[in-house]
Amino acid sequence: MMGDTTKKMPREEFFRIRDEVLRGWPTGAAVAPFEDGVRRQLALPPHKRFAQAMAEARKAGRTLLQPRAGVALVEDHIRLLNYLAREGEADLLPTTIDAYTRQNRYAEAAAGIQRSEAAGTSLLNGFPAVNHGLDGCRRVVESVDKPVQVRHGTPDARLLAEITLSSGFSSFEGGGISYNIPYAKRVPLEKSIRDWQYVDRLVGLCGEAGVSINREPFGPLTGTLVPPCISHAVGIIEGLLALEQGVRSISLGYGQTGNLVQDVAAMVSLRELADEYFRRDGHTDFELTTVFHQWMGGFPEDESKAFAVISWGAAAAVLARADKVIVKTPHEAMGVPTREANACGLRATRQMVNMLAGQKLDAGPTRAAESELIKAEARCLLERTRELGRGNWAAGAAAAFESGVLDVPFAPSVFNRGRLLPIRDDEGFVRIYQPGNLPLTPDILAYHAARLAERARNERRSLGYQMVTDDIYAISKGRLIGRPR
Amino acid sequence: MTGKAPTIVLGVIGADCHSVGNQILELHFTQQGFNVANLGVMVSQDEFIDAAIETGAGAILVSSLYGHGEIDCAGFRERCIERGLDKIVLYVGGNLVVGKAAPEVVVEKFKAMGFDRVFLPGCNLDEVAELLRKDLAVSAPRERA
Repeated sequence: MMGDTTKKMPREEFFRIRDEVLRGWPTGAAVAPFEDGVRRQLALPPHKRFAQAMAEARKAGRTLLQPRAGVALVEDHIRLLNYLAREGEADLLPTTIDAYTRQNRYAEAAAGIQRSEAAGTSLLNGFPAVNHGLDGCRRVVESVDKPVQVRHGTPDARLLAEITLSSGFSSFEGGGISYNIPYAKRVPLEKSIRDWQYVDRLVGLCGEAGVSINREPFGPLTGTLVPPCISHAVGIIEGLLALEQGVRSISLGYGQTGNLVQDVAAMVSLRELADEYFRRDGHTDFELTTVFHQWMGGFPEDESKAFAVISWGAAAAVLARADKVIVKTPHEAMGVPTREANACGLRATRQMVNMLAGQKLDAGPTRAAESELIKAEARCLLERTRELGRGNWAAGAAAAFESGVLDVPFAPSVFNRGRLLPIRDDEGFVRIYQPGNLPLTPDILAYHAARLAERARNERRSLGYQMVTDDIYAISKGRLIGRPR
Repeated sequence: MTGKAPTIVLGVIGADCHSVGNQILELHFTQQGFNVANLGVMVSQDEFIDAAIETGAGAILVSSLYGHGEIDCAGFRERCIERGLDKIVLYVGGNLVVGKAAPEVVVEKFKAMGFDRVFLPGCNLDEVAELLRKDLAVSAPRERA
């Protein structure tokens, strides 16, 4: 059962806030009767329930495929999702939310819908679910035959969660850190964490009514050379915050670095460390699954080269025993893909996943050592965060970002220190070049420094911002490591 | 380098939070001898213009990566003129529209909106700096020792 129940948002407080949240846009009124949403969830056939699909994949040792996709208009969005299920063989469907809705700019989303109708094509980069409201969202869920998840990047997603979960969406991505630091400029962490505790409490209340909604903290963060210990620490904190509010089905994500040993090691350590931290806080009643994101950084423009990046991610996902893989497209370098390109990415991934299903990578000493290293690093960050919050993870996380104990490279938020700089080592492992204020032990820092010194020697140049920049653009320019030409 | 470093305003427009390239651009143009006022992500048209007026900048460099560029940039040139910046150099670059479109169509679309130059993914940043110096009619900084 629950660990410390004092951290759970009281029911009365939740419903008091809820009244205000639902007044945020006129479409909020339609989802006011909480029980109606629960009834719609209970009426979903089992094969359209996200939490169940994730649990079954885990049990069967399968890796499920999920794309990203969303357009401005309801009927176009339905056609898009059905196309990806049929032509792309997707196991799970997304509804990617547009950027205006993510910033609660619903009036601009409304203008985007109008202009899209006039233009006959989507001028929004996602589905404006709040504007479409209960009716539009229900039509989406009812018109497809797979579980559907809301994927976005919203610091304050309370109204979005109310509308989509009431409509029958059965999984909700994000968290108070992972949908703030990489996605916002000036939202205080205290505010976004509180707003996400509301979302988690909403999911917890659904659970009390017999409906299991899947929750997925966003693993890749900025998707740009993020050292695994950073994303692990953030994911585990968000997992703990979710469990405290009554969430039970939790999926933790990780973004591919491109070095296979590091990627497999990271996925193994993520599952083990999350399980350890969840149990240590007294949580026992949870279903933990993992998500592997194909390369989240810059892609090559050449579509054949993009397919190689996609396929390498597919291979790593299976070898890392991920329960789900999030699939990229050959149009990634150009932005939002066509549905055909999206299905192409899925089919390339499908072929790779099917071919590798059941194969196991020998867990050699290098992988085991890398796994232990990542765990030791993440423990340093998590233990200091726990101390800073005196056992309260929400307070600890805010204090940790303020002091640079947690730091996400290249993030837009002013509440992120931005002192941490990564560089790849000679084998392509993402290592820490400038640790900023990360509380890592001298041994760990010395190991990173030694590995990077090795590369600097081999390339006959010094470590520095140029090497960081070269690494950021290396994959889009055809290689893993940003070597001088 | 002779004279004062030319000032440029840099930022990512609209509700776009793509921060990585923005940080690289700041570094690049700084190294190229420009005085960069970087507004970061999620910048409105008026914030760009405010900063240009405040710093006396000769150019505004707008980035957009998330596909809403067409909506966010509409009326930018008119707004600059309205606020007294009738000579300012306007550049735009990134993934400017939703979906894959022919490059020449995208370039034409944004030039028609009043942008002096339009850059698509993969453009050479050294060339951009060169063009910018030309457009600002200032001499290139001397080679560093």
